[in-house]
Order: sequence, then structure tokens, then C-alpha cells
Amino acid sequence: MISVNGLSKHYRIASREPGLTGAVKGLFSREYTIKRAVDDISFRIEQGEMVGYIGANGAGKSTTIKMLCGILTPSSGEVTVNGLVPYRDRKRNASQIGAVFGQRSQLFWDIAVRESYELLKHIYEIPEREFKETIAMFAEVLQLEPLMGMAARQLSLGQKMRCELAAAFLHNPSIVYLDEPTIGLDVAVKARIREFIKEMNRLRETTVILTTHDMQDIEEICKRILIIDEGKVLYDGSIQSIKDRFGHKRVVHFELEAEGGFAFELPEPLIGLAESAVGEEGRVSLTFSNQAVTAADVISAMMQSYRVRDLTIADPTIESIVQELYERGI
Amino acid sequence: MRRYVKLYWQFFKTRLKVMMEYRVDFLIGVASVLLVQATSVMFVRIVFDHIDVLHGWTFHQLLFIYAIAMLGRSIEHIFFDNLWVLGMEYIRPGNFDRLLIRPVNPLFHLIADRVQQDGFGSLLVGLVVLFTSAPRLDISWGAAEVMLLLLMIASSAAIFLAVNLFFAAFSFWMVDSLPIMATVQGTSDFARYPMNIYGKGIRYVLTWLIPYGFTAYYPATLFMEGSGDRSIAAWSPAVAAASLTIAYLFWKRGLSSFSSTGN
Repeated sequence: MISVNGLSKHYRIASREPGLTGAVKGLFSREYTIKRAVDDISFRIEQGEMVGYIGANGAGKSTTIKMLCGILTPSSGEVTVNGLVPYRDRKRNASQIGAVFGQRSQLFWDIAVRESYELLKHIYEIPEREFKETIAMFAEVLQLEPLMGMAARQLSLGQKMRCELAAAFLHNPSIVYLDEPTIGLDVAVKARIREFIKEMNRLRETTVILTTHDMQDIEEICKRILIIDEGKVLYDGSIQSIKDRFGHKRVVHFELEAEGGFAFELPEPLIGLAESAVGEEGRVSLTFSNQAVTAADVISAMMQSYRVRDLTIADPTIESIVQELYERGI
Repeated sequence: MRRYVKLYWQFFKTRLKVMMEYRVDFLIGVASVLLVQATSVMFVRIVFDHIDVLHGWTFHQLLFIYAIAMLGRSIEHIFFDNLWVLGMEYIRPGNFDRLLIRPVNPLFHLIADRVQQDGFGSLLVGLVVLFTSAPRLDISWGAAEVMLLLLMIASSAAIFLAVNLFFAAFSFWMVDSLPIMATVQGTSDFARYPMNIYGKGIRYVLTWLIPYGFTAYYPATLFMEGSGDRSIAAWSPAVAAASLTIAYLFWKRGLSSFSSTGN
């Protein structure tokens, strides 16, 4: 169980004046600004929950995760993970957590994957029998067998991520932090990884904290999401209500023939149903709810009024949801 | 402690396997260091082709000091070399976090992450030089003397380690302190020669500030007549222990500063 209460992390950042003079000045006197990376957040996560922890880049996600892992000491507030204070009891906390940190490998880069797991076995003091059973199961679910003899540096991104996941879950941790586990992977690998995470949660009741920009990840894995922005919790609740609120929102990006300058006006049938944002060189984005009007209707109305060169239909992104939440509130 | 010895052995075995896989790398590494070290010994030989004694020191006495320095340094080089890349490969790319989420001492993990094969080159040259010079000293080698010599070599290695650890810890504040480490270690070359050929300033620095004097010269004088530095020599193990303690405490401070500022 994770309990976070009034947790804050403030950094002091030296603000420099621009140019060489500024750099030289900075050598002698510096002014500092305080950046509130995490600002008074509170939440509780029960054993076995799978929580999506989302927010834009720089919102404070990884700072929070680092504090939960014991890597960072908070500026103020309380944090306990299964009764331990991570930054005071870092090593004991470490034996009960697993992590995949995006691009940073848990594997030893120049030795065979199998040897990496052997070393992890000794580091986490996993009993031999348990280790063998776990490896056998992971090898099957994640299809690791052909990769076992290869060095981590020889693996492709998808292969590496599968091996990383196995490393994170190897010692049967009670909590696993996953930072962008599916970034840059193809659809098949993504599906396999999501399946594996759900399976681990079902079999071992592992708590999973997932940060991602991939809406699909969140929808398939998490029941609950925490949205953080500028260091504050913006939303904490079920994914369902967010989906009800924003899930039917669609955006269509148009590229219109725009010779000789033109002023964009929303076609008559769409007035009151769609909002437009006009970009440069004939680019126009229309935002609408697919409960009020279908994408097909929007596109055909546009095609009747303008010559459309190209169009794309976009799903709502985390960024747009966060922005929406910020502007209009829950 | 026992756990760490066992764990180190596991790391070491894995490293050895990798070394054996890249045999050519291994041989080139060992050979190149061997060459560098052998050249510096040759240089002493050439100097002594023209003179018989240097400030009262004979060729073989000088070689003996050299041997202790080389052996101490090679032990540090083989087993503790990863300290050099703390900034470059761990802190800067964010890999140090990986060590902090493992249930082991991060310094242990950092050190165990590498076995530096190149160090075997200087170990080899050091042994050759030791076996050449030691029998020609004015001392009869019994079991007690050999034990004492081993203790002195261990102290020498510990001091090399302590100095490197201390300056590597600066990486926690400044991201990469490798240039400082390199500069400091450069001064250890002075310590391969008898300290009494230097002026007071250099002597003071190499004895009390950066105790490289205890990596070779002082321990060597225990086995040699006529330097007047024997009384200091016996302190080598104590100096080693004190240096290691100070360096480790400083490392701990760096670590705690690192975890309050992050990177």
C-alpha cells in the first residue's frame, strides 16, 4: 500500500542572464528561482491496484516516482510504501519494488540476458526454485527463449523491453513502477506487454503504477488514473468518468486549398457543433463531440464548402485531456 | 559482509566470462598497459646507466619502491576502476538511479560493475620488478617480512582507492569529476620516487594532503636502510584506514546531497 500525504519536492534553479556576460556574472553571483516539481500532492494506492499516472512532460511524474522509489528525498510531506519510508529505508524498500525506467536499462548491457537474470537472482536473493519457475513462466509469456543468449546491447527495442519487464517482475515485487513501457513499440509487442502486466497483476496481485502517453495502455491496463499537472494532482478517479467526459471527443485536421489568401468560416451545418482552430497555409482543425455530429458529416460538410487536400482524424491525447481539464475543470 | 563477498564473486565470474569472450580486447588491453609500465621502468634503467646512486638510492632500491607503487595501483585498477566513470556513465545519463533501486550498497554495486582487465598488465610488470629488486635489497626475506610486504601493498592499494573515491564523490555535485580525478592521480607519479629528493612543499602535500607518499615510498622504507623515514613508514596501514574512512564518509555526503537534488 502506498500512502502519500502533502508530498512536495522543490528544486532551486539558478537563473542565468543570457549571453556570455550572463554566464560570467553567473560565476560570481547567482539568483535562484524555486521550481515546485511536485507541490503538495496526496493519494493512496491499495495493494493490487493498477494506476495510470499521467501528465504532460515536466508535470512532475518522474519526480514523484523517484520519491516513491527512495531515490529522491522529499522537500516536505510524508510518503510510505508498505509501511516503509523509501528515502530512509532505501535498500529495504528496493527489495519490494521493481521498475522499468523508459530508456534506462535494468539489464547489464554487455552480458547475456540469462546472465543478467542470474545476477539479479543474487542481488535480490531469490530462492533457486522460485527463480527457475519464474524464469520458465516469463520465457513463455514474453517469448524470451531466443533472446536469453544475447547481450542486452544486441537486442532490438521491442526485445529489450520484454527482457526489461521480466527483470522488473523477477523478484516478485509487491509494487512495480513502469515508465513508458510501450514507447516506440509495434502493435503486437505492445499487446503482449499489456497482456503480461495484467497477468502479473492477476496472479501475484502486484500493484502497478504506470506512466505513459499512450491512451490505449491506460484504457487496457488501468481502472484508475491520477492526472498531474505543474506538480499538482488535477484528477484522481476512475478512468470511466474521464472517458465519459472526453472519450467521445474527436479532432479532424484538414489541409485546404488556400490560394490567394482566404478567410476560414465554419460551414453552415456545423455551426454550434464544432469548434475550429485555424493554422497556417490552409490548415484547419475542427473539434467536435461524436455524440452531436459524426466525423463523416463533418468531413462532408467541409468538402462541400472547401477543396480539401488532405485530412487526418485524431484520437484525444493525454495532452489534450489535461489541457481540457485545466481549462474547464472536472 | 559475507553476503557482499558472495555477491562480488558472482559479479566477478560474469565479468570473467565476458573477458574470455572478447579475448583480443583482453590481450590488447593487458599488452598496452604492460608496455607503458615497462617503458617507465626502462627509463629508470637508462638514468642509472649514467649514475650509480640517486640521492643515496641504488637502482634496486628505486625499483623496489616502483614495485610497491605498481602493485598497489594495479589492485586498485583491476577492482575499483569503475569509480572513474561514475559521472560519465552513471550520473550524467541517469543510470545511477538504477543502482539506487537495488537492495545493495550503491558503492558496492558501482565497483562490482567492472573488472578492469588492463590492470593485469601493471600487476604483471609490478611482480616482475618486485621479484627482480627484492632479493637484491639488504634484507633477509622470512615469512614475517613477506606478510609485512603484503600488508604494505594492500595499504598502498587502499590509499589509491581512497583518493579516487574521495574525488569521484565530487561527481554527485558537479555531474562529472573525472578531470579532477585525473589531475590528482597525475601527482601519484611523484610518489614513485624517494620523497627525500623533493622539496618540503611537495613532500608535505604527498604525505598529509593527498597521502600518495604512503602508496610506495614510505612502505618501501620499512625494508630499506638509511632513509630516516622508517618511523613514518609503519603508519601506512593506519593512514590507509583513515583515508578510506574519510573518503567513504565524503561519498555518503555526496550521495545524500544527490538524493536531495536529483539530476
